[in-house]
Amino acid sequence: MKIWVVAEKKGAELRRISKEAAAKAAELGEVEVLELHGSGEQRSSSHAGASALAARAAASPPDLIVVGATPAGRDLAARLAAKLGWTYLSECAELRVEDGRAVAVRSMYAGKVRATIAGALPAVVSVRAGIMTVVDDAPPPRTEAVQVAAEAGLEFVRFEESKASGIRVPLGEARVVVSAGRGLKGPENWKIVEDLADVLGAAIGASRAVTDAGWRPNEEQVGQTGKTVTPDLYVALGISGAIQHLAGMSSSKVIVAVNKDPDADLLKIADYAVVADLFEFVPALTEELRAVMGKA
Amino acid sequence: MKLLVCVKQVPDSTVRVKVAADKRTIVTEGITWAISPYDEYAIELALEHKDADPGTTVSVVTLGPARARDALRQALAMGCDDAMLVTGAGAETLGGLATARALAKVIEEARPDLVLCGKQASDDDQGLVGQALAETLGWPHVAIVTKFTSVTGGTEIWREVEGGHEVWKAAGPAVLTVQKSEKDPRYPSLPGIMKAKKKEIPEKDVSSLIPDLASPGLEIISLEPPPVRKAGRVMKDGDVKAMAAELAKLLRDEAKVV
Repeated sequence: MKIWVVAEKKGAELRRISKEAAAKAAELGEVEVLELHGSGEQRSSSHAGASALAARAAASPPDLIVVGATPAGRDLAARLAAKLGWTYLSECAELRVEDGRAVAVRSMYAGKVRATIAGALPAVVSVRAGIMTVVDDAPPPRTEAVQVAAEAGLEFVRFEESKASGIRVPLGEARVVVSAGRGLKGPENWKIVEDLADVLGAAIGASRAVTDAGWRPNEEQVGQTGKTVTPDLYVALGISGAIQHLAGMSSSKVIVAVNKDPDADLLKIADYAVVADLFEFVPALTEELRAVMGKA
Repeated sequence: MKLLVCVKQVPDSTVRVKVAADKRTIVTEGITWAISPYDEYAIELALEHKDADPGTTVSVVTLGPARARDALRQALAMGCDDAMLVTGAGAETLGGLATARALAKVIEEARPDLVLCGKQASDDDQGLVGQALAETLGWPHVAIVTKFTSVTGGTEIWREVEGGHEVWKAAGPAVLTVQKSEKDPRYPSLPGIMKAKKKEIPEKDVSSLIPDLASPGLEIISLEPPPVRKAGRVMKDGDVKAMAAELAKLLRDEAKVV
């Protein structure tokens, strides 16, 4: 079976999600890892990228195309599947091939249902972070460049950097996420969240209440109308746990919840539920973690 | 400017979705249906454009079973100008590519300047129809859009990416798939609701738009609720520093996540 993996880079390095996608594909068949190259400094649109890949597929079609389910990856994969008229499965948490079909486990209803779904090959699939475990120092797969031409009718104008998020790990790919909610009482109190996230090397998330109030940017929202995350460790600070939030994070491996209110729903599903004033507890936890992680 | 918004009716986000006994469908009895959240944001972006430029018209289209008419009624009450329901046998279970082909027929006839839809529907969470619609129409698309504005020679469109926004310029018609944006979708006003009640909602049969309803089909093998999480260790009423020290050790030695 022939498989293409369309990889994304962060700086000079392949993104972890792309390495995971390549490792998963290698389990299923013979892999070519492709990288899209625009012309010069110009960013290329996902349509232009899909066109370049479709032209390559017309010459020698693979059975399966795998893309990491980053926002850009999902966009590209959808347009590509439509262009080729192939089966499309997005945000697969598990993927296998059986009897000429791609079989995936993916979440539906914003995380409230886990579905096992099959579709005939050839197929385009996007895979979620964590689909495979790859070791950090494993040699990256060799990639092949695919040239992307500019798209008629759509031109890149400029990039506007957002102020808030800084240089942290992308939320969807993070192994550790520290999320905070209304219990923080105001945006000026995020320092304790950031300090904890720094010690853990974590991405920062937020509840909807907090993004709606404008305390934090929308891109940090976890849950329905935000991101679904499945990290190894999810730390929820002052989040009560509305059903829409739980749907977006309850598949995390280990959950820690800190809340003053002993009836908060999130405390009931947490592996470690701490009933305490987070303004006292969080700085103390940051200190203790720094000690046990040898970062003193 | 002529805007057209494609919406889907899905279980309301507050609904506790239950898997049916057949393990392949969900229990629909007692469900409150609503416009998919990202589609509501798409309506809001279109209506904001209309607020700023009253010459704008906003049409709304849905493809689905007869009950999807309520979603259109809601969109009209929010302030959309007209609505169309594409329905009929097979509409409820139509695949993503076929849905896009059918909607493209409606769009070719309506000839809007821009088509907006949510970046994904909150039932299947696939995120395919917007891109497939653009592909069928032969138009460019911009995904994960939080804002757009008319400029000389086209439309500037803000696309959310990690760490900021890309701004793209479409010279002609384009499909925008909309992300949660700054303003929450407006509630229908009382006069809006009254006006929406009187509006006629024309209906088209999906098989009159696309004779072949087949598209690369997905078979649901099984649905299950996400694994139930048991309550874990509760720490309370202790000295804060001692609890923090205990938790740090547990995370390292028991959970092995730090």
